[in-house]
Amino acid sequence: MPDFFVNGQPVHAEPGQTVMQAALAAGHFIPYFCWHPHLSVAGNCRVCMVEVEETGDKGGGGSWMEIACNMPVTEGMRVLTDSDAVRKRRKEILQFITLNHPVDCGICDKAGECTLQDYHYAYNGAPSASRDAKVHATKFFPLSSRITLDNERCILCSRCVRFTREVSKSHALGIQHRGDHSLIRPAEGARFDEDPYSDNVIDLCPVGALLSRSFLYQARVWYLQPTPSVCPGCERGCTVQLWHRKPEWRLQALDARRNTRIERVTPLENPAVNGPWICNKGRDLARLFERERATQAMLKGRAVTLDEALAAARALIAAARRPVALVSSWGSNEELAAFQAALGARLASFVKADRQPEPGERVADDLLIRPDKNPNGAAARALFGAVPAAFPPDTDLVLAWGEGADFGSLPRGAKTILLGAYLAPKNGHADVFVPISIQTERAGHYTNFAGVVSAFSPCFAKPEGVAHAADVFAALGVSKAVIA
Amino acid sequence: MPGTQVIMTFPLTPTSHSLAEYRARGGYATLEKVLRTLQPSEVTKEIVASGLLGHGGAAFPVGRKWSVVKLDDGVPHYLCANADEGEPGTFKDRWILEHDPHLLLESMLIASYAIGVRHAFVYIRGEFDLPYRRLAEAVEEAYAAGYFGTGILGTGFACDVVIYRGAGSYVCGEASGLITSIEGRKPYPRNRPPRLTVHGLFQKPTVVNNVETLSNITVVMRMGAAAFRRIGTPKSPGTQLVSISGHVNRPGVYEVEYGYPLAKLLYDDCGGIQEARTLKALIPGGISTKVLNAIDCEPLTYDHASFAKAGSSLGSGGMIVIAEGTCMVRLLQVMLRFYHHESCGQCTPCREGMGWMHRIIDRIVDGRGVPEDIERLYAISRANDGTTICGMGDAAGYATVGILDKFRDEFEEYIATGHSRYHGRLEVEAHA
Repeated sequence: MPDFFVNGQPVHAEPGQTVMQAALAAGHFIPYFCWHPHLSVAGNCRVCMVEVEETGDKGGGGSWMEIACNMPVTEGMRVLTDSDAVRKRRKEILQFITLNHPVDCGICDKAGECTLQDYHYAYNGAPSASRDAKVHATKFFPLSSRITLDNERCILCSRCVRFTREVSKSHALGIQHRGDHSLIRPAEGARFDEDPYSDNVIDLCPVGALLSRSFLYQARVWYLQPTPSVCPGCERGCTVQLWHRKPEWRLQALDARRNTRIERVTPLENPAVNGPWICNKGRDLARLFERERATQAMLKGRAVTLDEALAAARALIAAARRPVALVSSWGSNEELAAFQAALGARLASFVKADRQPEPGERVADDLLIRPDKNPNGAAARALFGAVPAAFPPDTDLVLAWGEGADFGSLPRGAKTILLGAYLAPKNGHADVFVPISIQTERAGHYTNFAGVVSAFSPCFAKPEGVAHAADVFAALGVSKAVIA
Repeated sequence: MPGTQVIMTFPLTPTSHSLAEYRARGGYATLEKVLRTLQPSEVTKEIVASGLLGHGGAAFPVGRKWSVVKLDDGVPHYLCANADEGEPGTFKDRWILEHDPHLLLESMLIASYAIGVRHAFVYIRGEFDLPYRRLAEAVEEAYAAGYFGTGILGTGFACDVVIYRGAGSYVCGEASGLITSIEGRKPYPRNRPPRLTVHGLFQKPTVVNNVETLSNITVVMRMGAAAFRRIGTPKSPGTQLVSISGHVNRPGVYEVEYGYPLAKLLYDDCGGIQEARTLKALIPGGISTKVLNAIDCEPLTYDHASFAKAGSSLGSGGMIVIAEGTCMVRLLQVMLRFYHHESCGQCTPCREGMGWMHRIIDRIVDGRGVPEDIERLYAISRANDGTTICGMGDAAGYATVGILDKFRDEFEEYIATGHSRYHGRLEVEAHA
C-alpha cells in the first residue's frame, strides 16, 4: 500500500518520516542546502519547496507550497517536486541566495563540489537580477586556527552552528546580528579551536564559506581523486577518503612530491563505525604519513641491499635460542596473519602499542575518539594475546615491527631486527634494519575495537628499496622452514 | 464615542490603574465567579460560543486555538500574553498595560484556568517603560491580594505569572519567535508544523494571545457569550481598540464597535484630516496590511468582512491616516527600511529580499530609479509570499504590493523625473 505520491508515483514512507526523507529514500531528488540527514531540521534555505496538491473532499485542483524537509508525510498526500510552480520558486530562492554572492568560483576551494554551483546550473542559470552594487562582508575571518570563513559566500544555512550544538557539543558557533547582516561567529566564551571535530563543518558547508586553512589554495578538487582508507589514529578505525592527485594530472614541472601527497582527508560515511564524521586528528593524517621515510636497508647502520638484510635477519633468527617479537598494532589483518604463519611459532610474540596519545590530544570521548591510539590492536591481541611485553633474562634476539619499541630495556647482548617505515636514530643501531611500506602504499584491513573490519586501498606505489612487511615475514619464514 | 465600549469604560485618573479602583469597577469578581461555578472546559466553551477573534493581527478565533490544548494530556501547558506590540502604527496594548493592567491579569488567570496553565508569561517589549512599571506594580498588587500563587481565592487553583522583557526586535512579536525568546535563545520564528498549541514553549502545548485578545476574556465571561455576541457584527463580535495616528486631528486609542462606519470614525470621532486636507490613503491595521485609497475607504464599516472585501484587513488595529500631498514613494521607503532592519535573517527570501527592496527604493528616492524597478519590487514581494517561515516576509510583500497597486503612477513619475510629485516629506505642512 503506497503511503503517498511523489510526482504521481507511489512512495512508501516510514512512520514519522518527512517528505524529504521518504522521497530521497525512494530516489526522488529534492534539492537542499540547510537540511542534513544527521542534523536537526532548520528549514531556513527554502530551496526544498515542493507543491502539495489538495486531496480528498477538498480536491478542487488547488495546491500550496511547503518545504519538504519539515513536512511530515500524511497518507495519500500528493507531492510535486518538479512542477512549474516548484521550478519558479526554486529559481527565486537561488536568485536570492546568489544576490550578493561574490561569484568568485575561480579562486574558491569549493568550486567543483559546491552545492550552490550545482543548483545554480541545474535550477537557475541566470546572472544576478540586482542592479545594485553587491553588499560586501568579511572575507578570511579566522574562525579557528584550522578554519577560515568567507562571509560573502555564506548562505547562513546554519549547518555548522547546528553541528557544534548537536554533534560535537562544543556550542562554539553562533549567528551574530540579524537580517542580511547576520554573520557566523564564534560564540562568546567558547573556543572553536578546542573542538576536536571542528573540521567537519568544512564538509558540511554547502558552499565555499568554511575553508580548511591547511587545504586553502592547495589544489583544485577536480585534479584530485579519493581513495577509500581507514584512519589509523585510534582504535575507532573511522573510514576516510584520502585525496591525492589523479595520475593523469601528474605534475612534471613542479615539486614531484606533490604527486604523492595526501592533499586532504574527508570522512567516508560509515554507519557502523563513524557515521559521516571524523575528528581533526584524522584530517591531519598527512602529517603522520608524510614524515621522512626510511628507504635504505642497513646492518648496524651500514647500507646494504634488501636481500642482504633479509639474509642477515634469517641467520639471526636461525641462531637465536630465545627470540622475542614485538608485533605492530598498525599491521593490517593480512600482515598479522602473515607474521603468525611465518614466525608465530618461532618467536615469543607480544603486541606493542606503536603510538601513544600526543600531549594535548583528547584521549577519549563519547563521540568517536578512543583511548588506544593504534588502529589494529584488537586484531593483534586476538592473535598474540594481551599480555604486556616481557623480556626473559636470556633473550638473545628481539624482532621489533613498527614504531614504539623501547630498546632501552633489552637484556644486554640481545640482537635486534627492526622493521620501520620512517627515519629514526635507532634504525642505525639495529643489527638488521628493514624499511617497510606504510598504509597508503598497500591494501589491507583493520579490525576496530568493536570488531568491525574496514578495508583500505593503496594511493601510491611504495618507494624503491622498501618492502611490504608481509613479504618480509614470508621471506624470513621460508628460511625457517629450510633451516628446520 | 464609536459604539458600545467594553474596555475603555472608565475615566482615567492618576490612580485608575490601581487594584483598589479596579476592584471598585467590579474587578476580579469575574475570576471568582469562574473559579467557583465553572469547569475549565465550560470556560473554553463559552469563549468558543462568544466568537471572540484574535486582536493581534490574524483574527484567528480564540476558542479554536484554545480547543487544541488537551486538558488531560498530563504535560504542563503555558500561556503567553503577547505584549510585544511592535507593528508600526499600533499602540493599543500599551493603553491596556498602562491604564488597566489588572484586566489583563484577571483575564490571564481565567485563561490559565480554562487551558490548565500553572505558569503564565507576559512578554512585554523592551521599549515599554511606563507600561512595564504599571504591569509590574499590578502583578505585585495581585500577588499581595492572593490572586496569584497557590490556593487562589480559597480554591485549588494555582497560577504564577512571569513578566519577560524583550530587547527590541520586531520578530519577537511573532508567536514562535516570542516563545523562543522566552526560552533564552535568538528569537528565530519556528517552522510549522508542529503548531505551538502542540509543541510550544519548552516543547509543551502553549497558547500565545495578544494582550487585547486576552483582556476580552474577562469581558466575555462577565457579560456572557450571548450578550457579547450582541455587540459588533455577527461575524466580528465585540469591539477593537484602534490606535489612530498620522495626519488626523485627534490621534489616539479609540475603542470601536465592529460595524461602526469608518468615515464617522475618521471625521467625527477623530476630528478629520489635519489642515482640512482630503484623505489620500489609509493603512488600516499596522503597516503590514494593504493600504487603501480614499475611494476604497468611503463605504467601509469597521469590521473584518468589510475590510476583507476592500482587499485589506483590520490587522492589529494600528490605523495610519495619510493626507493628500504625502509622497507614497517616501512612505514605502520608510516601510521597507523598517522591514530590512527587522528581518531576523533566518530564512532566505526575507533575509535577502528585504535588503534588496530597501536598496531599490533607496535608489528610486535618490533619483536613480529605472522603470523595471517597479516590476522587480513586485517580483520580490511575490517571491516572499508564502515562502517564509513566519509572516513577516508576506507582510512586507503585502505592504509593498498594496502601495504599488494603488499609487503606481506616483512611482513611475518619480522614476521618470527623479524627484517626488510632492514636497517629498511625510508631514503635512501647515497652510500659509
